[in-house]
Amino acid sequence: MKLINKALLSLALTGSLLVSSCDSLLQVDPRQSIDANGALTTPDAMNAALNSVYSKLRSARIYGRDLFAVSDALADVGQTTSNSGRLIGENNNQPGAHFGTWQTAYFAINEANLILDGLSKVEGASAAQLARWEGEAKFLRGLYYFDLVKVYSYIPTAIFEPGVIGQGGIPVVTEGVITSGAALSRQTPRSTILEVYAQIYKDLEDAKRLLGTGTGRGVQYGSGPAASALLSRVALYRGDWAKVVAESTAALSSGVGTVLSGAAYVNGWRAPVNPESMFEVRFALAEESIGVNESLQSTYTALLNLTNKNAQGGWGDFIPNATVRGLFGLAPLQLGTPATDNNNWDVTRNADVRAQLFTTGNTVRGAGRQIENTKFMSKSGFAYADNVPVIRKSEMHLNRAEANYRLNNESAALTELNAFKALRGLPAVTLSGTALLDEILLERMKEFIGEGQRFFDLKRNGRGIVKTTPAVNLAFDDFRILPPIPQREVDGNPNIKQNRGY
Amino acid sequence: MRKILLLGLTLFLVNAMAFAQGRVITGTVTSTEDGMGVPGATVLVKGTTIGTATDIDGKYSVNVPAGSNVLVFTFVGLISQEVNIGNRSTINVVLESDVTALSEVIVTGYGTQPKREVTGAVSSVKGDAIQNLPLQSFDRALQGRASGVQVRSSNGLPGGAVNIRIRGVGSINAGNEPLFIVDGVQLNNQSNAAFTQSNPLAFLNPNDIESMEILKDAASAAIYGSQAANGVVIITTKKGKQGKAKFEFNAFSGETQPMKFLDILSGPEWYGMRRDAFINSGVANPEANALSNMGRLPSNWTTLTRPALDALGLALPTYDWQREVMGAGRLNNYEMSVSGGDDKTTFFLSGSYNYQEASFRPVDFERGTVRIALTHQATKRLNIETNMNLSTFQQNVPFAVEGSFLGNPAFSASAVLPHNAIYNEDGTFNTAIAGVLGQNVVLVNSYNSGIQRTNTAVGNLITNYKIAKNLSFRSLFGLDYRLLQGDNYRDPRTPDGAGVVGRSSVQSDWRTRFITTQTLNWNKTFNGVHNVSALAGVEYLSETREGISGAGIGFPTFQFRTIQSAATPESVSGFWTGYRRASAFSSVNYDFKKKYLVTVTARYDGSSRFGTQNQYGLFPSVRVGWSLVEEEFLKNSSTISEMKFRASYGLTGNDQIGNFDARGLYGGGGNYSGSAGIVPSSLANLGLSWETNNTLNLGIDYGFFENRITGSIDAFDRRTKDLLLSQPILWINGFSGISNNVGELQNRGLEFELSTVNIDKGGFRWNSSFNITRIDNQIVSLYSGLQFLPANPGIAVGQPVGRSGEGAIFAAEYAGVNPATGRPMWYDINGNITYLPLAADRRYQGSSLGTTFGGLNNTFTYKGFEFTTFFTYEYGGIGGDGQYGFLRENGTRLTLNALREVNDRSWKTPGQITDIPRNVTTNGGNETRGASRNSGTAALLKYDFIRLSQLTLAYSFKPSLVSRIGLSRARIYMQGVNLWTYTDYPGYDPEFTGAGTGQVPLTKSYTLGVQIGF
Repeated sequence: MKLINKALLSLALTGSLLVSSCDSLLQVDPRQSIDANGALTTPDAMNAALNSVYSKLRSARIYGRDLFAVSDALADVGQTTSNSGRLIGENNNQPGAHFGTWQTAYFAINEANLILDGLSKVEGASAAQLARWEGEAKFLRGLYYFDLVKVYSYIPTAIFEPGVIGQGGIPVVTEGVITSGAALSRQTPRSTILEVYAQIYKDLEDAKRLLGTGTGRGVQYGSGPAASALLSRVALYRGDWAKVVAESTAALSSGVGTVLSGAAYVNGWRAPVNPESMFEVRFALAEESIGVNESLQSTYTALLNLTNKNAQGGWGDFIPNATVRGLFGLAPLQLGTPATDNNNWDVTRNADVRAQLFTTGNTVRGAGRQIENTKFMSKSGFAYADNVPVIRKSEMHLNRAEANYRLNNESAALTELNAFKALRGLPAVTLSGTALLDEILLERMKEFIGEGQRFFDLKRNGRGIVKTTPAVNLAFDDFRILPPIPQREVDGNPNIKQNRGY
Repeated sequence: MRKILLLGLTLFLVNAMAFAQGRVITGTVTSTEDGMGVPGATVLVKGTTIGTATDIDGKYSVNVPAGSNVLVFTFVGLISQEVNIGNRSTINVVLESDVTALSEVIVTGYGTQPKREVTGAVSSVKGDAIQNLPLQSFDRALQGRASGVQVRSSNGLPGGAVNIRIRGVGSINAGNEPLFIVDGVQLNNQSNAAFTQSNPLAFLNPNDIESMEILKDAASAAIYGSQAANGVVIITTKKGKQGKAKFEFNAFSGETQPMKFLDILSGPEWYGMRRDAFINSGVANPEANALSNMGRLPSNWTTLTRPALDALGLALPTYDWQREVMGAGRLNNYEMSVSGGDDKTTFFLSGSYNYQEASFRPVDFERGTVRIALTHQATKRLNIETNMNLSTFQQNVPFAVEGSFLGNPAFSASAVLPHNAIYNEDGTFNTAIAGVLGQNVVLVNSYNSGIQRTNTAVGNLITNYKIAKNLSFRSLFGLDYRLLQGDNYRDPRTPDGAGVVGRSSVQSDWRTRFITTQTLNWNKTFNGVHNVSALAGVEYLSETREGISGAGIGFPTFQFRTIQSAATPESVSGFWTGYRRASAFSSVNYDFKKKYLVTVTARYDGSSRFGTQNQYGLFPSVRVGWSLVEEEFLKNSSTISEMKFRASYGLTGNDQIGNFDARGLYGGGGNYSGSAGIVPSSLANLGLSWETNNTLNLGIDYGFFENRITGSIDAFDRRTKDLLLSQPILWINGFSGISNNVGELQNRGLEFELSTVNIDKGGFRWNSSFNITRIDNQIVSLYSGLQFLPANPGIAVGQPVGRSGEGAIFAAEYAGVNPATGRPMWYDINGNITYLPLAADRRYQGSSLGTTFGGLNNTFTYKGFEFTTFFTYEYGGIGGDGQYGFLRENGTRLTLNALREVNDRSWKTPGQITDIPRNVTTNGGNETRGASRNSGTAALLKYDFIRLSQLTLAYSFKPSLVSRIGLSRARIYMQGVNLWTYTDYPGYDPEFTGAGTGQVPLTKSYTLGVQIGF
């Protein structure tokens, strides 16, 4: 009998527990997330939200790889090794083998928009904090829009065929989405190319104003001088030559970054933070490494490090082609025996200091020992992670020289070009007219091997892509100059037209 | 359990015996099933009410009055026998089991029901049918055993994932897993192992299973409401039997073997193939280039002639990497059980040890289990019961479960260039491996190490209280607790560990699930013809899961392999998640003379997973049946022994989505420059609710010739509405998708089950059982009138959704190779030939979901010998096989080995009709301005197969013989699993799920076993 009582008692207890907890019967709150409503109302939350916008620059689809390596693969500065099979399609300029920055960039833009929308709701923020958040968010939004529009649209200085302008720029959204209603209903059309550049100008001018002329929080964060430097490049693409000169001058006179020459320039590439950087993407933690498959280091070299060339490193998928090897006088050079030891090999080089950034790789991968680019060699202190310089100060000289040429200040252009050549150990030249422009562009090509500028330099000058290995002759009017907009974005948005040819 | 209940019942019925004078007849009743005594069998003197029941050992003694000369022996589940006494005083009978067993009892939702009265679509698989199969989890053993249940192993990892689909695929983005219930505890069978696949259902020793019931139609499953949309599998474990303690020892041992080695090229063959590819591409020095690809170009090659170089290539050696990493594996299983009890308490105790190696080293599975089942009749009214399943299993982890990783032996073994030596002449590992797979996989897998451990406790405490004669109360408290631990070490001597100087990764993951079910049962018969029973209950479930994981890099030497020796913590992470469910349910059964049967059920479920506006839902069902054999006109039919028409309709829900999918959240993530970030992770959907399934089921149960032929036929139309679809969101709006209730899916099918006793003569018996299912699966509608999903055009109206909701295959049709040039061709949308098919040329080709499947079992028994063959089959699924895809490239894109049959078929001369293009080396192995050779349907394969899943030869010794050495039972057997497969599949095996790249294929196995009872 006692047993029954006990059993009944325990059942009754359970029942009452069930009933008493009825209010919270189905209440479970996540512990590793917070409600989106009111998430961004504290200064700490704003800082954290801003970090995420920066962190998306690390994506392999953005500066982690594609904006540098896919860009160079599309252009005429290198060839693939088939070691892992990556970048072959891009290097062949096959239809659809192209950039895919859309998703990550727009996600980051939405986060920046949410930060900007939330500025007025932050409790206990100082005016300086508000200015910094707004300035950095706009710097980042400007950068993401610029990287989108230069990829998915023609560049204002060279828009193919007036009749096709209609396909335009890219959708510009400046309000954040955090509710399902807006997410499901907003179908923004493509703005015109110039409207997109106007938005980028606006964001970067605001950033410049809000962040001031100081060095800010470090080159891994947006700053006023970094905004000037970026504006210099945006204006170069926009064809605002006077603005290029003004912003380049402002950037050069700032305390952010140092223009290096000679051995210091080479050593700059061996430092965790390149002193030339005006803005760079920071890889701070080992877990942020892109890894052996898609990191810039792995893409460019099969070496693990420069101290022991026999150690198996990355894939070395994309290497300089004959043109680039010729520019720097690169050829394999055996230093000792046995020949099977990769440490017994290096390259011949000409006087250009940038030739120091190339050497022979190893025989670990299928293609064997190749001449490789060593700008990215795990400088952050852990495998396959390098901070990525988005804007180096040296670019300002090249931007200004080119703008001065366009402004018919050929002598200023030539002076600046020759001064720059001296920094790289090269003799002065005497050129004028188109030959001068070509020389400036050639200097850009040499300066930015592996840094993704060449493809856009060709594109903004309306030039095609011509290479022998692989055999490609891609005229500027070919549709493959532009990537397809992700098909889902076209299928799901009746207001958007796909790029020509896709 | 069944026998105990019946024993009690029988004793009760024949209590009023024992009187009169006459002869005393004694004897033993045994069954052919196990040769053991049958306790509780009824022995009745024909034409009287005089009788007795057999004791625990099956012995009886009965007084037969003068004038009576016939004894009737009956026992449920066995065929009754009438025996003439004659002048004997001892009569021993052997009762044959009633294999067709329509009189058996079926476990249904929150109760049991005689099979005769079941009006839904329920399949039952007895534990005996899957006994001693060398399979780690019971879900794998269900393959081919029941109609409507489609089972596919995900791969050959022992204890790996199993893909089980009951009546098709009902969801695209929510889960398609059925609800598994063990002893009343609803399990979460989601696998969260970080380093390999650990099937949570492998916690249970399949030999501890008494029976498995599969509730297939929505009406049968509806009592489980929002968990039941994909069907319900109810597992009943073995329970104690009254009587003196019975011991059973069971052991089997054997080995696993690869089912197949791929026939790949030798070193010289690969050289020749590559040389010809360079010739085809017009490249100068083809011999030198081919040798260079193989890392065998001598440094003085410019001084050598082309024939000399060619001779070098044709003299290259060949090493068999497949046979180095794949081979026989050990397989052992030992278990012991004791069961017994008295009239108040029964117990069942068992312990087991299972070990199995995969065909790829070092992958294995090792499990120990302990099981306790106790029942105690505390008072006349109160019965308490507990079942406890404790288990731990651990698996040596592979380099990767799947994928084209260089260190993955299942990928690299067949793809590494064959001229590479595995070992140097001094016996050390060769580390200079030429080709794209520049790692020695044998080295990698002998240096790396890792273990995944799963500790599980599933148990319950049940109280039954008989409130009144017709009314009882049952209270169940259950626990499903699982701890996953894992560690994985990338040795610094391997390429993947070298860059980081060793990496140790660890994982701990706890899942705790509490469930309580309180039910009231009531039944009554009115006027002897109206039988009514009813059930009402409430249930509450709470689940939490949390885990931590981390990795460290930088190890002093390779001997230091645990994370505390790491110089740098690389990552640290953790998570917490949980959900709750509250439910009330009821069901009412009514029948009139067991002739007309009606069941109505309803469940009201609330779940924290759904939007605040839609947290509760109602899931009703109705089932009706008409048992024709109870009608007067069939009662005396000698032909038709069973005939029942069934119809049911019900509503069930699917709640298999993330715990917080309805919430708009900011989560941690996006750290930058060493400080923490937060990121908007999901959009709120306050209206998010369950996916609902409604199924109309029509069925017939039939039996002929005293149930020598039995079976059932079912037709169903299963509609899933308000699909939990991840509705795509434009990326420009900052998100990829939102869980929303949109769209409709349909599964229509026919199921056919047949069991026959073909021969039963002179001790020879031949039983067959066969089942076949045909299912048509298609999307009925999406949203906003869309014909296909923008983010995935494979999800399209009118098309099947594939086995995992990945969508139909949407690809341009391959047209073979241009006989004149050897270029691969495809059809464009107008049926014209094109070399470069575009997106617009894609057509729907079918899906990975097989449309027809089933099994065929044959058992032959003769005088203790037993021979069983069991075939399973599946037909109608198509798809890719990543491993085959890589090998089908024939070494043209990457320096990988190739299949001999592919290379033999490659185009070589003008006019040749074939499907494999000519080999080229330029453009990543593709023709200029041509699509890649595996594009479109070129590399699609049919997944069809017929497999001899089981072959068993067993011999049971006569009880009288083994009793001399103190045994009650002895049985020995030989068994083979997956011995033969009929398929024209060119890859390892058509049975897998996923991409098929670098997956460990299924194995065959041979075992020898012994079962001893004492």
